[in-house]
Amino acid sequence: MDYSVNINVFQGPFELLYHLIEKKEIDIYDIPISEITDQYLEYLEEMMQFNMNVASEFILMAASLIEIKSQMLLPQKEKEEDPRQELVAQLLEYKIFKDLSEELKKYEEETTYYITKPREEMALTSDSKTEQLFLNEINVYELYNVYLSLLKKQNFKIAQKEKDKIYRENYRVRDCMEEVLKKIKKSGKVSLFDTFKEKPYISKEYVITLFLALLELTNNRGMKIYQDKLYGDIIISPGEKI
Amino acid sequence: MNLKSVLESLMFAWGEPLSINEMSKILEIPVKSLAAVLDEMISEFRDNEDRGLLIQRFGNSYQLTTKRENYEYIQSLLENTVNKSLSTAAMETLSIIAYKQPVTKVEIERIRGVKCSQVVKGLLDKGLIKETGRLDKPGRPVVYSTTDEFLRHFGLTSIDELPAIEDEKDDKETELQSTV
Repeated sequence: MDYSVNINVFQGPFELLYHLIEKKEIDIYDIPISEITDQYLEYLEEMMQFNMNVASEFILMAASLIEIKSQMLLPQKEKEEDPRQELVAQLLEYKIFKDLSEELKKYEEETTYYITKPREEMALTSDSKTEQLFLNEINVYELYNVYLSLLKKQNFKIAQKEKDKIYRENYRVRDCMEEVLKKIKKSGKVSLFDTFKEKPYISKEYVITLFLALLELTNNRGMKIYQDKLYGDIIISPGEKI
Repeated sequence: MNLKSVLESLMFAWGEPLSINEMSKILEIPVKSLAAVLDEMISEFRDNEDRGLLIQRFGNSYQLTTKRENYEYIQSLLENTVNKSLSTAAMETLSIIAYKQPVTKVEIERIRGVKCSQVVKGLLDKGLIKETGRLDKPGRPVVYSTTDEFLRHFGLTSIDELPAIEDEKDDKETELQSTV
């Protein structure tokens, strides 16, 4: 498990150890392991007293320190490795990157003096009379008008119903999906606009059902849909997996 | 078409670092010739004292920025914004990745002595590092490298501009061995 609460200012056991070594002006190549271990444990106890969650890494280091301390007590044979050596090497390596990160911090600060500009958004060209609308400014009537003008632009005729009646559904998403899949198998990719135009007349229900089928295909079957330009035709093509 | 003029407009409109590949695609000009022109533009902007803008290169991307010496005037114009600097943990992790790339999470954790999953995820989200493959070792661990966004964050043209590591370590290590 990761610890996300910082224990005081220390990011990890190496940083704490380094802090102790620097505070006491100890020679890192000759660490008085007994003294440092005591101080390290003292610090851990302090953290626990403040009810701080001591991360397992700190405990592990405490165990290593005690192990090294006990090894130091044993009489050392000649040519045997100093029990502190591995710890010192690790501390030094950590210190290198800690110093580098402080150096990089200066670079980071320096970049704040160079101001940049966020990316522009492209407004629609003036020849299309459509205004650019922000979603939170749009009400449902404006949206309806946009919808109507789109249909007009693409020459889609939507059959008007005379009365409000509830009909049984003429199209099912599943059928539309199969229709599209069949076409894709035959010709590789499918144009949404052409599919509309194949019908003698287009009902709202068909437009919506086919569009839902399209979304369903991209979501579940990994189909790709793309549009080359704003308000352009929508092309459906097989994605990586079918 | 005036190439330099178009490039300047593109960089202005894009705002963020614009990759040379993108420019090459739009203009249908090979990357190599574009790079030469952009290099020229970089010195032209820098050397013309009457201009307030710079072109900066970060890896394969180019960005328009203001000049350093005009900062205090800009500062009096703009409101203060949020400090975007990285945490100590992020800085340490990023330093290890920058100097040891491509590097595994295990290696980062060994050096820092703490778990780094959260920090690494944060750096990935910020786009400062990316996964660049897997090691051919048991478990096939993912290796991480820095991105052009990393270069931009620290104002570096390329990874070679990172501050040099002091060689102190090697000397002292041999010293240590001799004293033991």
